[in-house]
Parts: sequence; structure tokens; C-alpha cells
Amino acid sequence: MYGWIWRNLPGNAWVKALISLLLILAVVYILFQYVFPWAEPLMPFNDVTVDNQ
Amino acid sequence: MRVIVRTVSELCITVGTLIVLFVVYVLFWTGVRADSAMNEQIDQLHRQWSKGSVRPAAAAPGEQTVTATRPSPYYYGRAFAIMYIPRLGFTWNKPVLEGTGRDVLAQGLAHYAGTAQLGRAGNFAVAGHRRTYGDPFKDFPALRPGDAVVLTDGTTWFTYRIDKGPYKTVPTDVEVIDPVPRKSGYTRPGRYLTLTTCDPEWGHSHRLIVWAHLDSTQSVEAGEPEALRR
Repeated sequence: MYGWIWRNLPGNAWVKALISLLLILAVVYILFQYVFPWAEPLMPFNDVTVDNQ
Repeated sequence: MRVIVRTVSELCITVGTLIVLFVVYVLFWTGVRADSAMNEQIDQLHRQWSKGSVRPAAAAPGEQTVTATRPSPYYYGRAFAIMYIPRLGFTWNKPVLEGTGRDVLAQGLAHYAGTAQLGRAGNFAVAGHRRTYGDPFKDFPALRPGDAVVLTDGTTWFTYRIDKGPYKTVPTDVEVIDPVPRKSGYTRPGRYLTLTTCDPEWGHSHRLIVWAHLDSTQSVEAGEPEALRR
């Protein structure tokens, strides 16, 4: 999977490394901005009130 | 064969990384976001109060309100007070916002809509996160009867004294925020305060409660109340 991505990135090794880094950052950003805020309320740490059941 | 093994191991590493990132998000990132949101709320309150646009102070206990000023309403998601609890640390201070939605709890302590306003007759009930989002009520079990819970709305300092707690109950026990909570030991209507958070620390099976009564009030011109002096 990762090998396939690496082989299909353009340019030489340096360019590939740079693009990989940007891809990783983009994925982390999407996770922190959209995916985790959605998943976090499914965890039990949020229930601190007595009437929201 | 080799391709399958490689793909499966890559998937495992990916899932592992995802879990680690999620833990970082919950333990660290929500705290960073909440701390900045709370500081922003407190700064905003101080700015608003220094401009002089403050709501009328509630009457002191026992004092007859002849003019009977109507309390200005709280608006959902809007901060209206700052809470200080010396037992949780001398620098511990958090904004109190109206409403108990998730979005509100992510920015500070949350006042149960429908319970009494700050300093007024009835039960002023506030919820806060035990863990995550800045861990405001992390040391909740350390609260003891006699501890001060001090709040200010910009014009008045309200000093509540804890009478009972931490009391452990179940999430459906909505009686704890009644005007006169049955389990609190209070028998007559008065000016009370209820704090709620979750228990155990990372779970949601129970709630921890403390109850307090309004002990004294003073105007902000009179300086900080005794409970906040070191």
C-alpha cells in the first residue's frame, strides 16, 4: 500500500519525500479537524451533566 | 503471499498510528483548545465588565429587594461569570457559560439552563468536565464541606460554602439540581449552588455532586472576598 504510493509519486527521492510529508500533514489535519471531533463525543468523557440522558 | 502479509502489517501499523493520534487528540489537543477558549471567554468578560455594561447585581441574602430588579437573561453559549475554587488551586478560575451542550462544555463550565441565576433564590447548578477539555474538575473529589466556591458577575462577589459532597449518584438522578435537592440535607428554600461532574474519572457511569449555600456577597468595589486572599 505505502510502497505503491511511493512508487507512484513523481520526481526523485527528495521530491517524493517532500510530497509524502505534505500528505501525512494533510491526513493529520483532516483527522484533528474533522474526524476526531466527530468521534470524541462517542467516548464517555463528555457526560458530566445529570439531565442529558 | 508476501503482498498479503505486507498489506496486513501496513494496515495494523496504520490503525495503531490512528489510535495513538486519537489519544493525543483527546488527552492533549482538547485541553489546548479548551484552555485557549476559556482564556478567551475570561478576557472577553473582563473587557465587557471594564466597559461597565454589567447586569444588575443580585440582592444579598436576607436583603429585601424593594426595587425588585428583573435579572437580565442569560444567553445560550454566552459567558456571564467567573468561578474561583481555592481548593482546586489559587490560580484556578474558569468562565461559566449558559447551557449544558457539548459546545458549551468545551469552552468552560456550563450553567444548567432552567436553574436559578447566580446569587438568586433557588439552585444555581453548574456542570464541568472531569477529564479532557482542560480537565477543569479533575480534583473534584478533593472538595470538602466548608470549602469556598467564589463567583463574580462583574458587579458582585458571591461566596458559596460547600455543605455536602462529593456525593456520588447516577446520571439519571436529576433531583440533585432541584431548587431544594432532597439528598443535600437542605430543608428550606434558599440560595444554593450545585456542581456536577462525571465519575469515575474517564467513565460516565456515575456523577459526583457537591452542594453549597450562599454565604456572603460583596460588591467588586470592596475588593476580593476573604476566601480568595492568600
